[in-house]
Amino acid sequence: MVATKGELLLQMSGVQKRFGGAVALQGANLSIRAGEIHALLGENGAGKSTMLKVLAGVHVNDGGTIKLGGKDFRTGSPQDSIEQGIAVIYQEPSLFLDLTLAENVFIGRQPKKGRIIDWKFAQNEAKRLFKELGVDLDPKRQARGLSIADQQVVEIAKALSMNANIILMDEPTAALSATEVERLMTVMKSLKAANKAVIFVSHRLDEVFAISDFITVMRDGATVSENLVEKTDLQKVIKEMVGRELTEMFPKTENKIGSVVLEVNDLTNPAYFRNISFNVKKGEIVALAGLVGAGRSEVARAIFGVDKYETGSVKINGKALPAGSPVAAMKEKIALVPEDRRQQGLFMVAGVNRNISIESFTNLVDKGLINFKRERELTNTWKEKLSIKFSNQNDPVERLSGGNQQKTVLAKWLATDPDLLIVDEPTRGIDVATKAEVHRLMNQAASEGKAVLMISSELPEVLGMADRIIVMREGRQVAELSRKEATQEKVISAATTGKKGA
Amino acid sequence: MNLLGRLKPKSREGSLAIILLVAIGGTGLINNRFLTGDGTRDLLASTSVVALLAIGIAPIVIMRHIDLSIASTVGLSAWFVADMSAKNPDFTWVQCFIVGPIIGVLVGILNGLLVAGLRLPSLVVTLGTLYIVRGLVYVISNSVDYNAQEMPTSLIDDLGQKVFFGLLPLTFSLVVIIMIIMALYMKYTQAGRDCYAIGSNPPAAELVGLKVFRRTFLAFVFSGFMAGLAGVFYLMRFAQVDSTAFYGQELAVVAAVVIGGVTIFGGSGTVVGAVIGALLVQTIQGGLAALGVDAFWKSAINGLLLIIAIYADRVLAVRSEKQLLGQRIKERN
Repeated sequence: MVATKGELLLQMSGVQKRFGGAVALQGANLSIRAGEIHALLGENGAGKSTMLKVLAGVHVNDGGTIKLGGKDFRTGSPQDSIEQGIAVIYQEPSLFLDLTLAENVFIGRQPKKGRIIDWKFAQNEAKRLFKELGVDLDPKRQARGLSIADQQVVEIAKALSMNANIILMDEPTAALSATEVERLMTVMKSLKAANKAVIFVSHRLDEVFAISDFITVMRDGATVSENLVEKTDLQKVIKEMVGRELTEMFPKTENKIGSVVLEVNDLTNPAYFRNISFNVKKGEIVALAGLVGAGRSEVARAIFGVDKYETGSVKINGKALPAGSPVAAMKEKIALVPEDRRQQGLFMVAGVNRNISIESFTNLVDKGLINFKRERELTNTWKEKLSIKFSNQNDPVERLSGGNQQKTVLAKWLATDPDLLIVDEPTRGIDVATKAEVHRLMNQAASEGKAVLMISSELPEVLGMADRIIVMREGRQVAELSRKEATQEKVISAATTGKKGA
Repeated sequence: MNLLGRLKPKSREGSLAIILLVAIGGTGLINNRFLTGDGTRDLLASTSVVALLAIGIAPIVIMRHIDLSIASTVGLSAWFVADMSAKNPDFTWVQCFIVGPIIGVLVGILNGLLVAGLRLPSLVVTLGTLYIVRGLVYVISNSVDYNAQEMPTSLIDDLGQKVFFGLLPLTFSLVVIIMIIMALYMKYTQAGRDCYAIGSNPPAAELVGLKVFRRTFLAFVFSGFMAGLAGVFYLMRFAQVDSTAFYGQELAVVAAVVIGGVTIFGGSGTVVGAVIGALLVQTIQGGLAALGVDAFWKSAINGLLLIIAIYADRVLAVRSEKQLLGQRIKERN
């Protein structure tokens, strides 16, 4: 069944959803037409994911109506949604890593002769779909070891193979490099040309305006605006998302730049990076820019001692730092806020208090035992300083929103009063308002005389925050730009071609 | 391509089969009897029960679950079948092959409902049923035990002693037939593939709409069925039963399955590997006996084998990781 362009495929109106006492959706609307790319925007907690999960059949709505092709939409199980032509690609691709790509494409719907699976046919068909998507993947290969971008391709091939009319993508570009984003956009456009509807959630507003035809903005579980992309603009969308106007996205302060804190010399680990040399001074924010996979996080991990490096040296306040020892790094007052806060930054099931105090134990210990009163005070201090929102100190951090989780990680490290703060993708998956707050905190840290090394794949963030920008490409340092000379074009050009552009 | 490269087996099962042949050959060198028809027959007959159970729990382990209740179920099934035969003199092997599996299926249904239905962790649930079922055997057996003369001759003498070509016992031929059917089932049917998917990524299995409850439940029922059948095999092999029959053997089965390449983390492995694992364990046991090693060492050697198997897995994983890394370095430069 192929829909005609512009035909209304799905209409959600007044949709409500409650989880216990918490209201996730209250009067959410969404209209999806064939042959359109539709952006669903909103801050974290606005209800976007809940909307997608209702359509995916993971959640059942408590109220409101959902019409699919004029008929009532059957909710209840993922199987129902798949049968009704809805495919969902989650933020973290949900592939089966032990199975082959062909199997992943056809999981649950294997082509059969009688009751026997026809593997030959499945493999050929998967091969054809990958080709159609412009990516040459081997269908007999195991999914393990595939890059996130290729995993998404497999997910999209899966959606195509089940003839889905409506394809939902939850933050598909969050973990992709610029070239991969481009490839994904080409795929999205070809889906659009085939009169499918593509709905995607993204926090990268420049991409949203580059590709979408229609924008729906949500706030506090309700839809606040539905507009053709021509009828709206960036400022308006941001205002609708946060409910107020953000006057300044990057409140950059001019700090006094002091002595060198971190000095990296000729650092090399052949698998990831080569000949990296730079320094970070007191009161300075230095950004490591580049594409995902350029080796930036690996440099940060090597500095902090999580990974080893082969040659080169790291000095902190003029003193050589032994390689491969996070303990030594912490002793020299280095803090690393990792890229993946859930896996590496937090103890998800432990309380907020335990997470904030974990690196400051020595200050809390009284005659060999932990003084819980001091832990409470410490938590409260940082709760106020960073305006972290939680109801109870003992609440496991997994119950906090993404933004508050990130603030908790920051609080943990700021509590150690570091000389060098390394932050890896500090605002990934965080809503606009919290983003601004994290930026304010980083500026504040710099103004207190700390050296800040920031890794970010978001250009506006890099340009807005950094005093100096070091661009990496495929493991090599290709450019160093001062705040004054840096432009979007120059950074992109260096990151993608290795040359300083116009 | 050199000869060695050509001989290098492509699959885990291939490497295991080679290790098995080496083990058999090695044992044969020490004790010639091991390589005769008698020795082979002994090996196969004594492996049947464990191999049957290994086939039974392989799908469960592939689904990232475990069933520890199987050894108790073997005991219950064996005692019950013997008890009924003793009380009904006209019982033949047919009834035995019906009663045993039914008892196993009942235990399997209980496990399946608790694990798949209530979503309780299988490790704890089946540890519980391990004790419950064994307790049941103690209670109903009331310290009575049975010997060959109280059991149907059609089962013990006719079928239990039946050997094809002088070396292939009937019991083990049945194991092979079941293994082949299950191997094909796991590879070529949707239900089989679902087991791999569920074990590989449980939350994703729910999201793509797989029937996780049904598959999990039926896997436990199947495992119960196989344990019930293994109870009958136990009688055919040993021709006697008491309340402690097959006590504590569940971990030997788990070990065989893991040695056979079914990863305890789910998602990969085959029933063929599980059976080879069972044979390997048995061969090495036989080899040790042939060497005159004290029986006390048996369990220690089993444990060592298990750790070697896990270590081999780890080495393979690290090697493929290194390969990916090497590829990266090559692409870079």
